[in-house]
Amino acid sequence: MRMQDAIGFSFQALSGHRLRSFLTALGIAVGIAAVVLLTSLGEGIHRFVLAEFSQFGTNLISISPGKKTTFGLSGAVISNVRPLSIEDAEAAGRLPAVVAAVPVVHGNASVEHVRKSRRTNIIGAGPAVPQVWRMQVALGRFLPDDDPKAARAYAVLGSRVKEELFGPQNALGRRIRIGGERYRVAGVMASKGEMLGFDLDDAVYIPASRALALFNRESLMEIDLLYAPGSSAETVAARAKSLLVARHGAEDVTIVTQDQMLTVLGSVLDVLTMAVGALGGISLLVGAVGILTIMTIAVTERKAEIGLLRAVGAGRHQVLLLFVAEAAAISGVGGLAGLAAGTAGAWTLGRLVPALPTHTPWTFAALAELLAIVIGLAAGVWPARRAAAMDPIEALRAE
Amino acid sequence: MRSADVVGFCWRSLRGYPLRTGLMLLAMAIGAGSVVVLIALGEGARTYVADRFMSLGTHLLIVLPGRTETVGGPPPMMGETPRDLTLQDAVALLRSTVVRDVAPLVVGSAPLARGNLEREATVLGSTASLYAIRHLAMARGRFLPGGEVDRAEPVCVLGKVLADEVFGDLPPVGQFVRLGDRRFRVIGVLQAMGESLGFDIDEVAVIPVAAAQSLFNQASLFRILVQARNRDAVARAKKAVVDIVRERHDGEEDITVITQDAVLATFDRIFKALTLSLAGIAAISLAVAGVLIMNVMLIAVSQRTAEIGLLKALGAPGSRVMRLFLTEAAMLSLSGALLGLAVAAAGTWGLGRMFPAFPVVVPAWAPLSAVGVALFAGLLFGALPARRAARLDPVAALSRR
Repeated sequence: MRMQDAIGFSFQALSGHRLRSFLTALGIAVGIAAVVLLTSLGEGIHRFVLAEFSQFGTNLISISPGKKTTFGLSGAVISNVRPLSIEDAEAAGRLPAVVAAVPVVHGNASVEHVRKSRRTNIIGAGPAVPQVWRMQVALGRFLPDDDPKAARAYAVLGSRVKEELFGPQNALGRRIRIGGERYRVAGVMASKGEMLGFDLDDAVYIPASRALALFNRESLMEIDLLYAPGSSAETVAARAKSLLVARHGAEDVTIVTQDQMLTVLGSVLDVLTMAVGALGGISLLVGAVGILTIMTIAVTERKAEIGLLRAVGAGRHQVLLLFVAEAAAISGVGGLAGLAAGTAGAWTLGRLVPALPTHTPWTFAALAELLAIVIGLAAGVWPARRAAAMDPIEALRAE
Repeated sequence: MRSADVVGFCWRSLRGYPLRTGLMLLAMAIGAGSVVVLIALGEGARTYVADRFMSLGTHLLIVLPGRTETVGGPPPMMGETPRDLTLQDAVALLRSTVVRDVAPLVVGSAPLARGNLEREATVLGSTASLYAIRHLAMARGRFLPGGEVDRAEPVCVLGKVLADEVFGDLPPVGQFVRLGDRRFRVIGVLQAMGESLGFDIDEVAVIPVAAAQSLFNQASLFRILVQARNRDAVARAKKAVVDIVRERHDGEEDITVITQDAVLATFDRIFKALTLSLAGIAAISLAVAGVLIMNVMLIAVSQRTAEIGLLKALGAPGSRVMRLFLTEAAMLSLSGALLGLAVAAAGTWGLGRMFPAFPVVVPAWAPLSAVGVALFAGLLFGALPARRAARLDPVAALSRR
């Protein structure tokens, strides 16, 4: 049988019972739409989270005290016996292929200006922050490039803190008190918004050495390194590790590259997306049962037709293929409709609720349609075999 | 027509096409079963987290140094503030009548060494009160001694995994280990408890808080655990703690107090929303099953025109014919849902056997709502075929042959 005749045959059979074919296709369409919508949601969230984490720059390596290889905190970040020092940060900054290093300490203190005060996050850092963390200064400048061990008492305000303490007034050059000590405002950061619930603008940046003194600490909590583009993250990480082992006499730090962190994060999110997609697959399964049911009924109804086909010379295989193709056609059409509905739904959701990002990559769409066709093929096999196994004489006799 | 006759009629017509009926039952069963299983998983997760949280202690408040002004934001995690939260602050909290006990906490990491073996260990500095407040249990020996909290006795209690790693088969009690550059005598080993409050208790070394402060050269506490006298006292205890510390810190409120209840309530809300979403997604399959019922019943109506015509010729009004077909749809969805419940029950029992640590809880409302939604879907999607059957003209129906 010629291919186009076979296709024409299938479509004629389907359009003969339009309502029935429509409802069968509808079952598959709902299933595919659910899967597409859910995986779009998962994919959108995946991209969103990765973008949030990448906003601080990509060529980053972080060094933390303590040996914790998983994502978690080592107790050493809180207190330890082998402090990570500012000198360590300076030495790391001098490594080949390292562009800049930022020593990091953070805590919470009260910031006061005249009569207004606010408890906010204090981040002890270095002058390289705008470069390393890709943060812009809106007014003034960031911390000056002083000797890290004897930095002057300058502070840079986050936009939220500036609003709360100064309102619309100019803040540059004014004196503020942090934890009772006097600082001069050198600059104001541009607004960065929120990251995963954490207000990035509710912070004040001071030199790391002053922060260590303010919180009565010996050890930094982290050192962030920015390495030159084109260098290999692994090489720089290995160099940083040997430097610190030499300086500390033992391997008592954890070195994580941005790539490693994003990879771990990415795989976790992928698993979640797949799990959520599988939930949508339950509807698809029921849709498959639907195709199975309808095709079984159709085969019983069209006994005479099948008998006639066989009588005029169609082989068992051809009859099998005809019915399997019919099932695949229904689910294919249903799949397309579901794809359109799911993609449109995801796009609308993304517009209406900005907090829930969605994204439908082309590969997902193609895979979804392929899945629909495969389901149709699988569900159609059993009824098609029953049709092919019919004895033409028996089939023609029943009337 | 009597109800018994209606049911019997539908039963016979369903049995007449066993394959078709069986497949529709399967579709409904998949839908209802998955709704119940997913709700069970969601509720199980919620119960698991709630249990882990409750096992941390009873009527617990946690005091953290630092405070953020952003409402609804996370509390400061790292605990660094200009003014120390001191051991004396912790002791002062005992003055309040609504506070039963207090356990100060210093946390850090230090190399633990014995002979040639050295590995990094998380060190908790606390007092004897930690034992009762955190519901700890000993495997060997005893916990930290009571007495003055500022006594830095060089003794330690090890977590199970840490003790096994360092000592192997040798009984640890009475032996010496080095933490950093100081010697500590092991006086006890904790029972295996797993992870809680972010730390793995089995890998921890507990020493007196004053010794920890000296070891890490750290005057400030990381947390203070406060146990309120009873359930109702928790709110008053929170206020008392804030007032006492503020007074001691020259009028500055630089701490955050978290109650166990508040955190639990937040988790509860999150998990409930999760369970409902899961159930909602699974319920979509019930709608698909309903569409299948509609499809098949439409075919059935067109196949049974003679039968319907006969019924009407014998005097059955349209409404009765409609009721017959609606009953058929209802019976289908109900039996399918019940079948699904049976499969779900077997499935959750199996899951419970495979993962004994994870509670699989089937709340009463799960099977009820699954059956309810299934029935609703069956009736909704059975309405169109039923109406078509009711509208058939008996003469035309009977003449077609």
